[in-house]
Amino acid sequence: MTIKEAGTATEVSSHSEERVATDSRPASLDPGSLTPDQFRKRIKEKFPNLVLTDDKIGQWRGIEALEILRREGRDIPLILFKAAPQEDSTRVELAQMVKELARSNAELEQFASVASHDLQEPLRMISTYTQILAEQYSGKLDAKADKYIHYVVDGAVRMGTLIRDLLEFSRIGRAENGLKSTDSGEEVRVVVSNLQATIDENAALVTWGPLPIVMAHGFQLRQVFQNLIGNAIKFHDGKPPSIQVSAERKDAEWVFSVTDNGISIAPENAQKIFAIFQRLHTREEYPGNGIGLAICKKIVEQHGGQIWVEPLATEGAVFKFTWPARILEK
Amino acid sequence: MNIETEVLLVDDNPGDAELTADLLRRSGPGIHTHCVSDGVEAMAFLHCEGKHSDAPRPHLIMLDLNMPAKDGWAVLVEVKSDIALETIPLVVFSTSQARTDVARCYELGANCYVTKPTNLDGFKSTVAGISNYWFGLASLVRAGG
Repeated sequence: MTIKEAGTATEVSSHSEERVATDSRPASLDPGSLTPDQFRKRIKEKFPNLVLTDDKIGQWRGIEALEILRREGRDIPLILFKAAPQEDSTRVELAQMVKELARSNAELEQFASVASHDLQEPLRMISTYTQILAEQYSGKLDAKADKYIHYVVDGAVRMGTLIRDLLEFSRIGRAENGLKSTDSGEEVRVVVSNLQATIDENAALVTWGPLPIVMAHGFQLRQVFQNLIGNAIKFHDGKPPSIQVSAERKDAEWVFSVTDNGISIAPENAQKIFAIFQRLHTREEYPGNGIGLAICKKIVEQHGGQIWVEPLATEGAVFKFTWPARILEK
Repeated sequence: MNIETEVLLVDDNPGDAELTADLLRRSGPGIHTHCVSDGVEAMAFLHCEGKHSDAPRPHLIMLDLNMPAKDGWAVLVEVKSDIALETIPLVVFSTSQARTDVARCYELGANCYVTKPTNLDGFKSTVAGISNYWFGLASLVRAGG
């Protein structure tokens, strides 16, 4: 199936769709050797938004598709795409929407930043002066008062951490950091070095296979590995954590895997754990706020990938995420 | 030997100011902290104006950044561009951890930038650290030679 543009034939691909859409010259779709039904089916697959009705006029993103013609005694599904006048206004609308989204995003980031900064201040006062009270009146207050003071301080400390985490989450963006070539193996090596103390404490073992070079913003890929490997060490169930990091090429993507032998994750929780501040355990069982995976998800998705978890049959879990494989040469 | 050390603390948060002054006083003998809550009053103190006509020349200025009326940035610029005041050691003592803020303060001539810790123990050891460094380790120009 080919698209003819004013005399030149071009293969139908997703890129051609765009070119046809923005080109103001008419382009025609030649069915080649396909029967009308086969052709109709192919059209539906390639252009799902195109409504083909029996009177053979459809609409596709503001582009008029004209008649399916009768020629030489048989129905030849011939669709001519002509850029309709609305095309320009669609482009203007789109540009407008992009501008509005950028503005809204900037506003939200600023709000999150200012709010967290201003919220930290009174929180610090609550926490600090309650502790001072406890110190100055220690021995003069009863056990109940001590307990209440502990709850106040604990609450304030936790709120402070939540605000900081929220701020960190809201700040993950692309604006300041351009994409740069990143050696994922080197990033894992740095993460393991950063986590050395907790690795030693837990007698953990982290190994990795050959890992590729990819494009990433700032140190965000490192952050993903830090959270995933850190979690793998943290959520063990008594035995020394054993963690493997690997990557497999699949079409235009790399699929990274972080496998551990710790606690497993029930299938019904597989989605939940990536939500912000979602925890599956009490603070006594495992510490943390529940933002690590939400951060991983945001970073991975901003780079055009996806992240998910696969429980293992025996024990532990594999966290996988995809990452675009293309390298931009400077 | 009676060494009197005068500290000018510029901070609009009374909780922080009181705690800092208290910790400084307890960190060593003869340390007096004068607290002002905005940049206007800070400059009046340094110029011995108005109600501060008897103000002593401080051996150290501790300066918060975010304050109403005149903020820490303005005070920093004024002090470090005033030939009579620029030699007074100035420590910026602020909650901000932003690299841009730190860099800018050093560019404007601050002797030091210290981030206010968010927890009490950290706050205590930090103020003790500032006192030990400036009044114990470092040599200061004191009246009388």
